[in-house]
Amino acid sequence: MRELPELFDVRVKARSLAYLFVAGAGLGLLTLVLPHDDGIHDVQLWILAGIAIAIAALIYAQVDRVSEWQLHVLLAAGTTILSFANYYTGTSTLYPLLYTWTALYAFYFFGLGPALLHVGYIGLSYAVVLAIQDPASPAIRWLLAVGTPLIAGLLISRMLETLRAERLDSDDSARALRQNEARTRLVLDSAPDAFVTLDRDGIIRSWNLAAERMLGWSAAEAIGKPMHALVIPPEFRDRHDQRRLALMDSAEPFATAHFDVDLERRDSTRFPAEATVSKVDVRGEILVAGFIRDVTDRQRRQEEREALLRAQAARAEAERVAEMVSGMQLLVDAALAHRTLGDILSDLVARVRGVLDADTTAIYLTEEEDRLALGAASGGAAQIEDPEPIAFGHGFVGRVAEARQPMLAQDPTPEELPYPGLRELEIDSLIGVPLLAEGEVTGVVVVCAAAPRHFTAEDMNLLRLAADRVALAIDHARVYEREHRIAETLQRSLLPDRLPQLPGLAVAARYRPAAAEAEVGGDWYDVLPIPGGGVGLVMGDVAGKGLAAASMVGRLRSALRAYALEGHAPARVLEQLNRLIWTETDEGQMATLIYVVIDPAEEEIRWVNAGHLPPLLLVDGGRPYFLEGGSSVPLGVLPFPDFEEVSAPMDPGALIVLYTDGLVERPGEHIDLGMDRLAGVVREGPAEPQQLCDRLLAELVPRGGAPDDVALLTLRAVPIGDRFRVEFPAQPEALSSMRGLLRRWLRHLGATDQEVAEVVTGCGEAATNAIEHAGAGGGAPFEVSGQAADREIEVTVRDFGAWRQPREGDHGRGLSLMNALMDTVEVLPTPEGTTVRLGRTLYGTDANANGGPE
Amino acid sequence: MTDLVGLEIEQRGEVIVARVTGELDIAGASSTGESIGEAVPTSARALVVDCTGLEFIDSSGIAMLFGLARRLGSRRQELRVVARGGEPVSRVLEIVEFDRAAPVHETLDEALAGLSTDGG
Repeated sequence: MRELPELFDVRVKARSLAYLFVAGAGLGLLTLVLPHDDGIHDVQLWILAGIAIAIAALIYAQVDRVSEWQLHVLLAAGTTILSFANYYTGTSTLYPLLYTWTALYAFYFFGLGPALLHVGYIGLSYAVVLAIQDPASPAIRWLLAVGTPLIAGLLISRMLETLRAERLDSDDSARALRQNEARTRLVLDSAPDAFVTLDRDGIIRSWNLAAERMLGWSAAEAIGKPMHALVIPPEFRDRHDQRRLALMDSAEPFATAHFDVDLERRDSTRFPAEATVSKVDVRGEILVAGFIRDVTDRQRRQEEREALLRAQAARAEAERVAEMVSGMQLLVDAALAHRTLGDILSDLVARVRGVLDADTTAIYLTEEEDRLALGAASGGAAQIEDPEPIAFGHGFVGRVAEARQPMLAQDPTPEELPYPGLRELEIDSLIGVPLLAEGEVTGVVVVCAAAPRHFTAEDMNLLRLAADRVALAIDHARVYEREHRIAETLQRSLLPDRLPQLPGLAVAARYRPAAAEAEVGGDWYDVLPIPGGGVGLVMGDVAGKGLAAASMVGRLRSALRAYALEGHAPARVLEQLNRLIWTETDEGQMATLIYVVIDPAEEEIRWVNAGHLPPLLLVDGGRPYFLEGGSSVPLGVLPFPDFEEVSAPMDPGALIVLYTDGLVERPGEHIDLGMDRLAGVVREGPAEPQQLCDRLLAELVPRGGAPDDVALLTLRAVPIGDRFRVEFPAQPEALSSMRGLLRRWLRHLGATDQEVAEVVTGCGEAATNAIEHAGAGGGAPFEVSGQAADREIEVTVRDFGAWRQPREGDHGRGLSLMNALMDTVEVLPTPEGTTVRLGRTLYGTDANANGGPE
Repeated sequence: MTDLVGLEIEQRGEVIVARVTGELDIAGASSTGESIGEAVPTSARALVVDCTGLEFIDSSGIAMLFGLARRLGSRRQELRVVARGGEPVSRVLEIVEFDRAAPVHETLDEALAGLSTDGG
């Protein structure tokens, strides 16, 4: 229920109460003045009238400060005064009628409830008066005195209530309407948005302050003019009219439209605006009312916000790309680190896994017949036991290879997983990208993600980028490995795989490719028997690396062997090699080389040095020294260099060491230090060449390998005594070695040149037979032993094959040669083999000269 | 493995000169013999095997020379051998009496002399 408004101000009530007191007092005084019976107590009435007037005066004086409850108290006080007056005037007067005044006042000015309380108080106080006076028929008196104002009061109350309700309706709505209009005007005028009302023809009917500010036209100028002529740009006018009419003709009572529009200001500048227009019914007339908002600022803010968002997105993208690029860089780094394909694969696979944040990553490589073999895997279930190769088109990996396209698979079936171990990982997402090199699928890289990770198309793009690098890296590694293998194979094949067996000469060689070097170097060495029983040692270093250097080594090696075999002196051999390099190779090609010829029989060493590091010679019991003499320019530097041959005595037991710079050269260190170290190690020994080589490498080559190739060759002339016993392989090539040994032995015994030649020839025939016999005996080695007593020598050649009867006119000459050249020839064929014992007396003039005890 | 024998073939008019160097034993004898045989066309009048640079020869080398002598003889071509006296090769040739198969000369010039006179 709505609260009814108060009809009267409290001041009105107070004044009315004051009047009521004055009227009561006046009526009382009037009864005293007029003739009255003796039952009235005059003095008491005078006092009561005075009190009433005093209260009236008090109320009037305090009318602005009096409150509602004070009025109730005062009214009750009036009732009390009235009751005293009724008592003092006695039962003969009509004073009880005056109770009607207070009751009516209460009903008129107070609510129904308080009024009834006041009537109750009236009834109570009059009942007290009646009880004291004890008049006749007190009930009737009481009923009349209280019932009359009660009935009248209730009627008044009802009347006033109706009056109040009517006042509320009329006054309130009028005032509210007035207030509303004012408020609306205020709101519209203070609104930041323009508010415009148009009639059906588009004529402006209202135009607020914001419209004036926004569009430049005042309300006086705008109202009455067509909207489209004033502010709508020409190209929007048709649409403006259509939109307005459509809105007005809409069946909906409050049809509303919201749209963006460009508007023109008075100064013809344009701005973007946003309009909200509604159909409104103003006292039966249909109008269109619209708010227009200038959205220039908002558009700018929107643009700024968008720009900010773009900037943030760009930064995030840049960071992502940077992260990705660094991931890619890791891949490239892995590719550039020159290692084996296997190393690169396991590195790449781990890095790809990191870039994609995948659970498992695998790289498959294409083998022959379109099959993919697992190259490397990283992550969970990476330890796979030699999985089967995958055929193109089979399984996820095979399909990627066949389609040559990246593929993304979500929730793959177990059969699709690259290898069974992944089934335990609950792989939810797979990406496979083919590795392409020159249009060929060289492999497939696969990443797997376990739940809850799911790969996206973006991940696929990332993997594709990664795969490009991986493919490149693998391709490079394969090409490199192939080249490296070819070069290494070539170089290894150029180095003697087995040094010739030289009786009385212990030879050992080592070759160590550089640790970090991508390509094989041009270091090489060779050991070749020289006609006449000598041995040639070669140590060289061709400038450059890889295949070019290796092939140059090959040419030098075969040329040197050819020239040496023809019996050329060492200097002449080097001249020929220089001519080869100078005339037949590219400009700038050069090589250092030292060529040493050792003739153990003569106990002499001869060498020519073309710019190479000097060999180290250690004579038994002495200090090692470098053979500095005979050094000339490297091969390929001058067209006609002078190569000087130098010789030095080589005592039995002497040791020679040939090497390349890799053994002694260290970055940032003078080479003399390295050479001093070499001399130090050689001096300490051991003297046995194999052991010495191992020790030299262990002491001089840093752990993890030398920065450059190392080639090392050592030879020791083992002292030979009066007796010897050597085993030779049953091959024709062994004959030369055997002859070398015999020559050295015979020289040692003091035989003449002719004696040496004859004994060597005779024993050679026996050895030739031994080799031929072994042909049937499974290639078992033959044994040659010699002993000398005084001037008698005995050489025994023993084989383990089957004796063959010499054929007449051919090898039969062998036996006749033996008989002709030796004093005694004894052939002892047995089922196990044949022994030939050859004896001879030496008459050499210099006999015993060199034959001192060893 | 290592072939210790060297061979140079030279044509002087109708005469083929084969210079054998190094050591001639069972390791290189037959291949050297084949190389020399192939180098002598049927049109050649004679072959001179120069052994002055040869440091060693054994029965295999001798057999090779005998083989050449037989082969040339059947084609009516002449074989001459050059070996310096006192050298090991010369000594071996004497032992096997090689001069019964072909003449042995002290120097190349001497060997060629007769041939060029005949040719001139």
